[in-house]
Amino acid sequence: MHFQGIYEDEIVGKAYDRRLLWRFAGYLRPYLHLVGTVLCILPLTTAAKLAQPWLIKQAIDNHIVTGDLAGLPAIALYFLLLILAESLLSFLEVWLLQYLGQRVMQDIRLELFSHVQRLSASFFDRTPTGSLVTRLTSDVEVLGEMFAAGIITVVGDVLLLAGIVGVMLWMNLHLSLVTFAVLPVLFWITFTFRRRMRGAFRQVRARLATLNTFLSESIGGMAIVQLFTRQREEMAEFTRLNGSYRDANMPVITWDAALYAAVETLSSVAVGLLVWYGSGEILAGTLTFGALVAFIQYIEKFFAPIRDLSAKYSVMQGAMAALERLFNLLDCNEVLAEGVPAPSPRPSPTGGEGEVSAYSGADDKKFPPPLTGGGKGEGERDIPFIRFTDVWFAYNGDDYVLKGFSLELRRGEKVALVGETGGGKTTVTRLLSRLYDVQRGGIELDGTDLRQIPLAGLRRRIGIVLQDPYLFTGTVEDNICLGDEGVRPRGRQAAALVGADRFIERLEKGYGEEVRERGNNFSVGERQLISFARAVAFDPEILVLDEATASVDTESERLIQEGLRGLMAGRTTLVVAHRLSTIRDADRIVVIHRGEKVEEGGHEELIAREGVYFRLYQLQFRG
Amino acid sequence: MESIQSPAKAPHSPSWYGGAIIVAALLHGAIRVFSRTTLLHNARRIEYRIRQDLYARLLALDLSYFNRERTGDLLSRFSNDLTNVRMLVGFGALNIINTAIVYLSALFLMARISPLLTLLAVIPFPMMIFVVKRISAAMFRRSKRAQEELARLTSAVEENVSAAAVVKAYCREEASIEAFAAVSRRYMASNMRMAQLRGLMIPVMAATGALGTLIVLVIGGQKVVAGLLTLGDFVAFNGYLAMLIWPTIILGWILNLMQRGAASMSRLNEVLLAEPGVTEPADPVTPARIAGMIELRRLSFSYGETPLLREISLVIPPGSRLGIVGPIGAGKSTLVRLIPRLFPVADATLFIDGTDINRLPLRTLRDAIGFVPQESFLFSRTVGENIAFGKGGADSGEIGAAARLASLDGDVARFPDGFGTMVGERGITLSGGQKQRTAIARALVKDPPILILDDPLSAVDAGTEEEILASLSGFYGSRTVIIVSHRLSALRGCDTIVYLEGGRIVEQGSNEELLARGGRYAALHREQQLRREMEEI
Ligand SMILES: Nc1ncnc2c1ncn2[C@@H]1O[C@H](COP(=O)(O)OP(=O)(O)O)[C@@H](O)[C@H]1O
Ligand SMILES: Nc1ncnc2c1ncn2[C@@H]1O[C@H](COP(=O)(O)OP(=O)(O)O)[C@@H](O)[C@H]1O
Ligand SMILES: [Mg+2]
Ligand SMILES: [Mg+2]
Repeated sequence: MHFQGIYEDEIVGKAYDRRLLWRFAGYLRPYLHLVGTVLCILPLTTAAKLAQPWLIKQAIDNHIVTGDLAGLPAIALYFLLLILAESLLSFLEVWLLQYLGQRVMQDIRLELFSHVQRLSASFFDRTPTGSLVTRLTSDVEVLGEMFAAGIITVVGDVLLLAGIVGVMLWMNLHLSLVTFAVLPVLFWITFTFRRRMRGAFRQVRARLATLNTFLSESIGGMAIVQLFTRQREEMAEFTRLNGSYRDANMPVITWDAALYAAVETLSSVAVGLLVWYGSGEILAGTLTFGALVAFIQYIEKFFAPIRDLSAKYSVMQGAMAALERLFNLLDCNEVLAEGVPAPSPRPSPTGGEGEVSAYSGADDKKFPPPLTGGGKGEGERDIPFIRFTDVWFAYNGDDYVLKGFSLELRRGEKVALVGETGGGKTTVTRLLSRLYDVQRGGIELDGTDLRQIPLAGLRRRIGIVLQDPYLFTGTVEDNICLGDEGVRPRGRQAAALVGADRFIERLEKGYGEEVRERGNNFSVGERQLISFARAVAFDPEILVLDEATASVDTESERLIQEGLRGLMAGRTTLVVAHRLSTIRDADRIVVIHRGEKVEEGGHEELIAREGVYFRLYQLQFRG
Repeated sequence: MESIQSPAKAPHSPSWYGGAIIVAALLHGAIRVFSRTTLLHNARRIEYRIRQDLYARLLALDLSYFNRERTGDLLSRFSNDLTNVRMLVGFGALNIINTAIVYLSALFLMARISPLLTLLAVIPFPMMIFVVKRISAAMFRRSKRAQEELARLTSAVEENVSAAAVVKAYCREEASIEAFAAVSRRYMASNMRMAQLRGLMIPVMAATGALGTLIVLVIGGQKVVAGLLTLGDFVAFNGYLAMLIWPTIILGWILNLMQRGAASMSRLNEVLLAEPGVTEPADPVTPARIAGMIELRRLSFSYGETPLLREISLVIPPGSRLGIVGPIGAGKSTLVRLIPRLFPVADATLFIDGTDINRLPLRTLRDAIGFVPQESFLFSRTVGENIAFGKGGADSGEIGAAARLASLDGDVARFPDGFGTMVGERGITLSGGQKQRTAIARALVKDPPILILDDPLSAVDAGTEEEILASLSGFYGSRTVIIVSHRLSALRGCDTIVYLEGGRIVEQGSNEELLARGGRYAALHREQQLRREMEEI
């Protein structure tokens, strides 16, 4: 019951850059050919860039100064060709890099999404939607920025730098050394900034997630905010979060600007040094005029990638902060183990394994017999089909919601679960479809512990109408069939069985009517009917109804009961209901109170006992 | 400002020039840090302001807006679109200013050396502008498209995470991964279409700069040889021109930012300019207190084209209790949602104490109503805070009293942290009945003259229902109460009951009158009675 915002705010810890980068590099592996292509193009682009000032030097020194114009057109032609080549190559480069980045982002996003799908219900209980949404969208987008800024071209920048350094050294050793005197300062600055920047970026990511969490909840609860005229308070809270997000960004900007300024200043200092020193050399006659001009241009080019690198630097730090969060989510291993041996294995009932269910009782011919199934002898009917044995369960810590709960359902039996709200009825249904694992005791289906049955196999056998109906955006039909082609042919039949067809057919587009977010263009009762139809359409072996008719009118309820009568025959059914009228024809009634079974038996039997059930019954029908 | 001064005139006192450059550079550095931080900090402040405005707008919009828009889409606007706009006003502005300064100063200096050469050097620029203009329009469209796809992706995640329980129960994991992959692929494709244009922009810019250099080299070279230009001037000219190469490339990038920013801003404007259907009255009437008489005069309403409520007329005297029954989809919830003006109501159709509700200040109107919606939405705060949501600054005594009235006190006592227990998003960690009773307590703590309960006991057991009904009937006192319910048991004690069907009142009267009439209500009563008797057999 404790709400632990593990994924909220402040993820502290050291920055393991190397490990992060290494892991990230793994995502590039499928695209090594692209990386290779880019890396091949880079030196070419670099060469094309480098050759341009050199050509100008040639033109000035060999042609213009000497007055020999004959060779100038040739140089101009080379120059033109170089420009062309550079343009083409850089187009290719930009495009490939974008493609690479998009592919990697797509891979990471899909991996995250698939991973989140596997996480257990308890993870979703405490992880706010807004926070997860931020991870799968904004945090991944930051990686895109890293690619757009050109993490790959870092290699290119370094190459370019090396090339420029080489050419400069070759042209004039002294001048070069004078220029490079500024480099150590640059390195020192960069390293100092790294740590602070990362810390700031982590704050930024965490606060953005918090802001989004607040926002997504606020949008969901807007009706309540307005009904209770809480706009002012909500605005105040939003202002606080928004402000703290803004403030988290400020240091990043300052650090980034300082780094940028340092680079700019140093580049100017280098030029200054060069002019000061170079002009002396020209006077001394050891340097040609053209060489000095070319040199100054090289310095421009020399600092361009450095400037670039420093600009990338903060993007990189931001991306690392995002990567930390993404890997953090990927490393979250809150999944239900599948196929593990149960803690207390029981002897399997003779021959009852593997084969499931017999639906000889399904007398409703319109509805096809369940997909699963194969005949089994009548003799096995008395082996409990579903068995809860001394189940202890707590959502959190040792705050037990079920305390030694036991329940047996025979195949084809209809059992009703009644009791005070908060008693644990919904919890029982959740445990049956193994949304959570029990802490003590065990649940068996057909003699096999649930933990040994593949999750998908288990859940496919159970059709559950959740207490809170949830509709997806899409059409009514999509919502009944959930995009399962195998279910589609049964969709309308199922709707008819639960009496949902009455209102669906009145809709303008019938089954094709658009459903908006959470089904909010349908009344609550209509939503409940659609989600009921969904459970029926999936044609499950076991039907679990958790207050499935709580929001529908008496007439609809009657229709459902009539419709289901045939359907339920032969199916094992667990019904949770408050309205005793809906559980009248149950084979057995189980009363649960504060996590314990307090009474069990048929309707008359329980009435005769004059216990809890009797009291509930009297209350409801006192008139 | 930088390398330019260097080889200008003859190298007279070189060390002086060098020193000057270093000093200028340091100054320049300081200015840069200053301008950069100022502009970017400013961009963050602007982002903050826009976000404030966006949220303020959301708070003012009525529910029909939220029924239309998807949460994920709005979230995406708040983060991703706002990022694009911020980039535009930050980096974009910074670089535009930088670029403009560099361009102007370089052009000025170049023109001083040789106006003709300057003209020749900028010949490629109009060409570039022409190309860029064409690219820009496409960029805007594609960028908007990409942002829409991103919003779709966000919505897909949002929906999937919210529906985790359904997805699991129906084993739809694989299917939703597939659906997500499709959305993700579409987003990627739209991004790649953006990338093509981006890729095109950079070489166009680079080529423009380089072409200028080429022209200057050839024509200027000839001038030098012809003696029309000194070598020093020629070199200086080339230096200025080199200064333009980088800003020109940056210009391409800025244009990209601008188009993206503009596309995103247009998406933000869709929110900022959304017209709330429910607004504060122009000429408000503020009553001293609200007695609670509600009157409907030929009230009609429709969510879309098809009318839902048709000309409903009804008077609910102050202090009386009205029960509403009717089949699902009849419009019961819609009707009660109109009273606090969650949706727009036509003028002169709904009156409270004789005043048109469209003329009451929204706060006055809503503060007078305690509302328990059919679906109990709770915030991921503590139980206590959720109850106190109904009344700002409610103390623990009031919270406890409201919880007792709603029969929630017993449950709370069993919670590990009592009223301090967190309830999870939308109240996910509470049972259905606990959620519903928290929502009831939230409405009661407000102590309102009008109480509206929309199917408030659907998730509680018969015992709890009795308890709540008993304590509520003590609470009702002189309040006007409207209860929607499917169970007639919850309507006990109602002065008037209306039977709503197809958006019309088909029957109206007291319990006895309606029973005597032998219409739909009587049939409903019979049916519920019959079940009871059947069970008694
Ligand atoms: N996801 C959850 N996390 C923590 N506690 C929960 C969760 N769901 C339910 N509970 C608690 O477990 C108890 C039983 O709830 P539930 O099984 O929903 O009751 P009901 O019998 O009304 O269906 C309640 O006290 C509830 O607060
Ligand atoms: N926000 C909405 N947008 C469009 N249609 C809606 C919306 N809310 C409800 N409806 C439709 O209006 C009808 C009445 O809904 P409602 O008032 O919730 O019914 P109920 O009487 O069951 O409370 C339903 O058919 C529903 O589909
Ligand atoms: Mg429940
Ligand atoms: Mg309703």
